[in-house]
This record gives sequence, structure tokens and C-alpha cells, in this order.
Amino acid sequence: MLLGGLILSLCANASAPEDAVTARALVSSLGRPAPARTPFAEARFMKMLDEPLVVSGQLAWLGDDRLERRVEHPNREVSTIANGEVTQQREGREPRTFSLKRAPQLQILLDSFVALLGGDASRLEQAFTVQHSANNAKRWTLTLTPRDAKLARSVSHIEIDGSGNEPRCMRMQEADGDLSIDLLGELAAKMPAAPTREALVALCQGG
Amino acid sequence: MQRGGRLTLLVLWLATLALLAVFVLQNLRVSTDLRSFMPAPTTPDQQLLMEQVGEGPGSRLLLLAISGKPDEQLASLSQQLAASLRKDDSYTQVLNGSFDITALDSSLLPYRYLLSPTLDHQRLDAPYLRDELQQRLEDLSSPAGSLLKGLLPRDPTLEVLKLAERWAPARSPELIEGVWFSKNHEALLLVMTRAPGFDPDAQNAAISGIQRMFDALPGHEGATLAFSGPGYFSVVANAQTRGQAEWIGRISTIGFVVLLLLAYRSIGSLLLSALPIASSALAGIAALVMLFPQVHGITLAFGFTLLGVAQEYPIRVLSHRRAGEDAVQSVRDLWPLLLTAIASACIAYLAFYASGVNGLKQLAVFTVTGLLVAGFSTRYLLPYLLPVRVHDVADMRWLIRARQWVDALPRPRWIPMVVAVATVVMLAFAQGPFWQNDLSALTPLPKDLLQRDASLREALGAPDVRYLLVLDAPSEQGVLELSERLEPAVDALVARHAADAIELPSRYLPSASVQRARQERLPEPAALNKALAQAQQDMPFQHDLFVPFLDDVERARTLPLLTPARFAVSPLGQRLSAMLVQRDTHWLGLGTLSGVHDVAALQSLAQQSGGAVRLLDLKGAAESLVVDYRARILHALLAATLLLVVAITVALRSLRRAWHVLAPMTLATFLVLAVERVAGVEVSLFHLVALILAAGLGLHYALFFERDTGDAAEQRRTLHATLVCVLSALLVFGMLAWSSIPVLRAIGLTVSLGVAFHFCLSILMAPHARQD
Repeated sequence: MLLGGLILSLCANASAPEDAVTARALVSSLGRPAPARTPFAEARFMKMLDEPLVVSGQLAWLGDDRLERRVEHPNREVSTIANGEVTQQREGREPRTFSLKRAPQLQILLDSFVALLGGDASRLEQAFTVQHSANNAKRWTLTLTPRDAKLARSVSHIEIDGSGNEPRCMRMQEADGDLSIDLLGELAAKMPAAPTREALVALCQGG
Repeated sequence: MQRGGRLTLLVLWLATLALLAVFVLQNLRVSTDLRSFMPAPTTPDQQLLMEQVGEGPGSRLLLLAISGKPDEQLASLSQQLAASLRKDDSYTQVLNGSFDITALDSSLLPYRYLLSPTLDHQRLDAPYLRDELQQRLEDLSSPAGSLLKGLLPRDPTLEVLKLAERWAPARSPELIEGVWFSKNHEALLLVMTRAPGFDPDAQNAAISGIQRMFDALPGHEGATLAFSGPGYFSVVANAQTRGQAEWIGRISTIGFVVLLLLAYRSIGSLLLSALPIASSALAGIAALVMLFPQVHGITLAFGFTLLGVAQEYPIRVLSHRRAGEDAVQSVRDLWPLLLTAIASACIAYLAFYASGVNGLKQLAVFTVTGLLVAGFSTRYLLPYLLPVRVHDVADMRWLIRARQWVDALPRPRWIPMVVAVATVVMLAFAQGPFWQNDLSALTPLPKDLLQRDASLREALGAPDVRYLLVLDAPSEQGVLELSERLEPAVDALVARHAADAIELPSRYLPSASVQRARQERLPEPAALNKALAQAQQDMPFQHDLFVPFLDDVERARTLPLLTPARFAVSPLGQRLSAMLVQRDTHWLGLGTLSGVHDVAALQSLAQQSGGAVRLLDLKGAAESLVVDYRARILHALLAATLLLVVAITVALRSLRRAWHVLAPMTLATFLVLAVERVAGVEVSLFHLVALILAAGLGLHYALFFERDTGDAAEQRRTLHATLVCVLSALLVFGMLAWSSIPVLRAIGLTVSLGVAFHFCLSILMAPHARQD
């Protein structure tokens, strides 16, 4: 319910969708050379949990389809995506490896991140239907819906909020109602101690 | 005989053959299972071998590799193929690396607490649960989090994953796109067939079934599916041998027909002389069909080879026809000698019956029936059909000259002595092992197939087909307990690289006592509830999230322990069943080994167990079986030889004459053996069978050359008949000698050499040399 209201409110705030050309131009402007790194702070809201899980660290695009998610807080963990494989390393544990196929969230993260950081609009459009909306002259939101039916079954959509040519937030809405919100760049430092969905969405779009 | 009578006889004969053929075709069940051609196992190892050869997990394993497309498409093909195979009952296990949580049936899921070793060193108390839950929180915030979401409420300690890890092949290949891949970018699968491994026909069906499924997959075009494994090899070896035998057979048949046409210049005689042979083969098979439920393929192959002797009967009749003489009269004159020949061949072949091996008994029935039918139809049917007018071969000019040349050959008395000494010397100084005990050496596989198998086996960590660890205990539970006790030592061996992996039965199912101990360590509901509540304190998990977990633990506390029988409903239980074998009053557990590097270390493990554990070398057991087999054949032959001496002496009513027949035959047989040994040939069962055939032919030559008719023309006819026989045998078996397949070469070379030596020695040792 909460979520439905959230989306409704989002839609109400959004101005009329711009045409695809604007979206393309925006995506192209986001591109930067690899390796591109950005700090992140993630809050995960899950049905089975009373409180969100919060982690922070650094996301890095290493070029091609290689992505690194380095968590520094509260526990150290490095996840690497390369060649369709995810390798997860935690302090004092054997590294774990599994196929990207089994982690649709990661597949989507990879697709969106690589396309955005590579400024590759056509790749983004291959994987998602892209909807662009502008809140004001500088603020924008890209809504990405996976084209792959199998992926869509676990992730309904992903929203990327940005300002100018800087993405600020990435919100991944899972089909079962769980939501994760990643604050990117400078915003990562502004993760509240007890985040709520509303507060974070407000942070992403306003602030 | 009247024309009409002849026609009636011919029609009747052909009609009988047709009836026999129909009977045979309708009732013949050919078995290709090698085991029915093996002697009854006498040692426990041999008995295990016989079972393992067919039913053992190692021999039923097929290794599959899909290549030729980008990884992603290969992975999808691998998934689809695995899915189709899992639906088919002919395949008991299909592994392709994809994580299969259904490996543990959902009805068996509560058993995870009894199967996983966690409870051996842990209790489900508050500190442990708290630690686990803390880790789950980390898991949830990691990219893998969504993988666990479904599992978490029921299994917060992830026992299912611990079991999956425990049951995953010890050395699994690289995973790409979720399925196994080799370093050469082939998607790999392991398939266990229900069909026994060394039944080439059944394996062929299983393999073509897989190929059909693969060909039906969307997007399979451009990708190739390759097979490996013992079952596939038996198919390849079979097809290879059959293929070569067939084309060689076609060529030599044409040659044989041409030879007979040249020798007798009569198509009628040629066609008619084929009748006794056809009758003998059909009658032989019919006898088998009536006496045995299944006829072995090898019996038929050997049998047709040995029936080659019967070819001589009509040839002798044709060569010994005199101008103007009634064919019946010619045969009547020839009959005593022919009967001796038939009787002696029957005695020799009867020896196979005494061997006690089912396949050899069949062989005896087939050949003896065949010889008798061939002999008697040559005597009582064929002469009535043969054309009245023939041209007497005795008048052919080349034959007269040949006979004169043969008669003029010097026949010094020391020839047998020299040959005997030479034979002994050659046998004594021949290098290398005398016997070839490795049957697989006779149907070798292309090197690239073997290399490919080795690399696939290594990549997949598939069990070795040669070695097995055999655990012996009075009961099923005893085997599991023994297996548990063995685990530390076995782990140490793997750590020392004595083998890449060792898989024991207890890996899949702990013994009842271990399960009971684990069950007793499971907390009561109240205690678990309290521990969980304590563990969850200050954690964000919803308070009733873990109700399914509490339910499962409670169920596990009261479950009847998991027995192999109860476990067998799941694929893993089937895997376990294959590792447990009941033997009368006790049970055997079979541990499979992968990548054996240090046999001695494994043997010492077995020795330290005080007899409860043995390292079974299937190759060694197979070889000991072959040795047994050969001993039986040799004993039978010895008995046959003695009988033969008696029979020939009685038939010829003279020891001296019997000597003249038997001496060249014996000498020539050993000479073949000696020459082959000097040439580096190791003697196998197939050589022995070929030697027996050659000896049978040699006996004919000696019998006929020894015959003193006092008639030069008759001597010429004998030479003619013998020449035709020798040439036809050389033609058929000489062709086989050129085969690239050792088993065909063994038979071909031995018979060719034998025929040549027997011919020369029986001429040189014939007692008389009459000049015209």
C-alpha cells in the first residue's frame, strides 16, 4: 500500500514524459571513462525484516561487463561481476561464486550501470524500456523496466534519479514488494541512521 | 535319381531350410551382454566385477560434452538437455552443474538435520543461531541476498546448502552461466544410464536416445554433442569390429565364389554345395534357440568361424567325383574318412561344452550340431542333387604336374624332429608375456577417444572405472558405520593426493546411530523457541518469520530414521543404492575413486582395516577371470586331444596310421604358436579358438593325405580338394589377417598360418609317395 502511494505520488510529481531523444541525450551525457568509481550507501527494505538493512562502500565499473561492489560498512565484502559470474568475498571466508543467471538483481544492476556509466543509450534500451521524466530544469528520473520477462518476474523496475549529468540514486523495486535504494556519489554520505522509504525517496528527488 | 525326384528333394530341402529360418528369426534372442560369455565368477572379487561391469556406477556413466557455439547458448542447451533427460526413465541421474535444490525431495527436507554434520559439533542454541542469523543479515544485504529469500524462513542455518555442497562432485568443473564447462569451452554433463555398461546394444539405445533428445532441442544446429565413457566405448568397439568384419566378409565371399567356380566350373555345383553349410548354420542356431533362452552374439561370431571346417565336406565331395561315376558312389567311398573327420571335429568342439561357461556351452551346441548336419546332409542329401555329368579333376594337366612335384618332394625322416626342435627353441626364446589377459587390448579404441575421455573425466571428477573401494560388513548399517569410520583416513588420502576424490556411501547417508545422535541433539520446541527468540533479539527479522524452521526441526525430532530404502525415492537415494550391495549374509559398500595417483597408499589403507576394506582392481579381477577362462579351455582341449587320439586310432585301426595323422597336426599347431610368439604376439582367447579351427582343418588335410588308396588319380583328387580347401581358407582368413582390429587380426593370422603349416607338414609327413 505504502509503495503504491509512493509510486502514485512520484507520477503526480513528474512532468509529462519527454521524448526518447531527450532520454538518449541524457544517457549519453552520463558516460564517463572506465574505471569509474562512486561511493554508495544502500538501504534494503524487505518484507521479512522490521528494519531496513544498510550497507555502504564503493561501486566501480571496471570497463566492459565488469562491475565491483565493495562494501566497507558494517562488514567488509567484495562482490565482483565478470564473465557472467558473481564472486563474493567476505573476510575470513572462502570466496563464493555463482552464476549471474541466478541473481537477476545483479543482472539488472549490471545492465543499467554499465549502460549509464558507459553513456550507452542503445544498450540501455536493449535491456529496458526507458521512461524519462524531468522534475525541473536539472532534476530527472529514468524509469527502467526490464524487457526480459524472466528478469521482470523478480525486479519490476528500477528508477534512477539524477541531477545534471550526475546520477544521485538508484531505486530497485522487486516484484515481491522489497525495495532497495542506493544513494550514489555525494549523497552516499547522507544516509540517515534510521532510513525510511519516504525519507530516502525525498532525499533522492529533493535535497 | 530321376529328374523329378531330384527336384522334389531340392524343394523339400529348401522348404525345410526356409522353415528353419522362419523359426530361427522368430525365436532368436541375441544377447550382447559380455557377462553371459564369461565363466561363472569364483572369487568374491570376480563376482563383484561381473556385477560392476554391468551395474556399477562407474560403468553406467556417460560423459557428455556440447561444443561449437557461444558459451551462453551451450549453457542453455545443457540445461534443456538435462531437463529432457531427467524426464526419461532410462537415465537414473543427470548432472550438469546447475544447483538443484530438488536433489533433496521436499518430503525429505526435514531430514536435513539428520544428514548434515552440523549437529555433530553444534547445538541449535542461542549463540549459534545468533551467529547464523547475523550471517544471514549479511547475506541479505549482499547481491546474493535475493537467492536466499525463499529459503530463509524454513532454513535459517542453510543446512540445504551445506548438503548441496557436501553432495556436489568433489572436483567440479568451472561453472559458466550456471552449468559445467571444460577449459575448451564445452558444456559438460554426466548421465547415468539404467542400462548396464557393457551391453553394447542397450548402451547404443541409451546413447541414441540422448542424441535424439539433443537433436530435438531448439537451437541445437551448429552445436555438437560428443560422448565418452565405458558404455560409449563398448558401442564404438562393437560397431568398429562389426563394420570391418562385414566388409572383409563381403570381399572374401566374392573371392571364395570365384575360387569355387574356377575349381569346379559349375554354377549348379557351387549353389548346391552351399546347401549343407546353410543347413548347418540354421540347424546350429535352431538348436541354440531350443536349448537356451538367449543366444550370445559372440557365440554366433565364434561359431560361424569354427563352422568353416564344414565348408570342406562338400568341397571334398566335389573334388573326388570321378568322370561317369554316380555322385552317390563317390560319397560312399569317401564317407568313412569324412565321418572320421566329422567325428574328430565334433570331439574337439565338444570340449567347449565341458568348460562350464554358458557362452562356450552354446558354442559347443552350435558347432557340433552344425558339423553333424553339414556332414550328414553332404552324405545323404547332396549327392542325389549333384549333376550326373561332371568333369573329373584328376585329368587336369596342372594337377598331374602338381601331384608329381609334390610326390617328388624329399621327405627326410628328420623333418619332424627339426621342426619340433625349432618350435621349442622359438617358444623358449620368444620375448614378452606369453598370454594376453587384457581383453580390451583386442578391441582398442582410437587414441583421441581415450585422451578425450581422460580429459573429460578429469574435468568432471568422474569416478575411475578401474578401482573400487569395497567395504564389507554384516549389515547395511554396518557398511555405513564402517564408511563413517573410514572418512578421516580417506580425507587424509585425498589431502595427500593419493586420489583426487574418494566417494564413500556415508557421504550420502549417515548411519542410523549417527542420525540418532543428531536427532537427540535437536532441541525441544520450547527450548528452540526460547533460543531463537534470544538469538533474534535486536535483529530486524520479523518475530514469526521462522515458524517453518521451528516446524521442520520438530518434525526432524520425531521422524523415523532415514534408511537406504526410504532414501531411494530420491535421485540421491538411487545413487546410494548403487553403492550398497547385498551378498548372502553380509553387505558390501562400494566407494568410488576419481583420479587415482597412488595405488599403494590406497592398498595400505585397505590393509590397515584388517580385511573389512579392500581395494578392488576391476582390471585385475577381469584379467584373473580371463586366466580362469583360458585354464578351462586348455583343460577341455587336453581332454579333447586324448579323446581324439583314441577316436582316430580306433577309426584307422592302427596306432602307426593315427600317428601319421596326429603328428603333423600337433606339430603344425605348436609351430603356429611358436611363430606368433617369436613375432611378439601375446596369445589371447581368440588365438586359442583360431588354433582349434586350424587344427580341425589340419586334421582333414592329414587324414586325406594319409589315406592310401593306391590310385594315383584319387591322390590327385585329394590334392585338388585339399588345395581348394587351403586356398579358400587362406582367402577368407588371410583377409581377416589384414584387419586393423587386433581381434580380427588374431583370428585371421592364426588360421592362415595354421592352414599353411598344416598343409605343408601333412604333405611332408605323409607316409607314402607313390610315383605314377
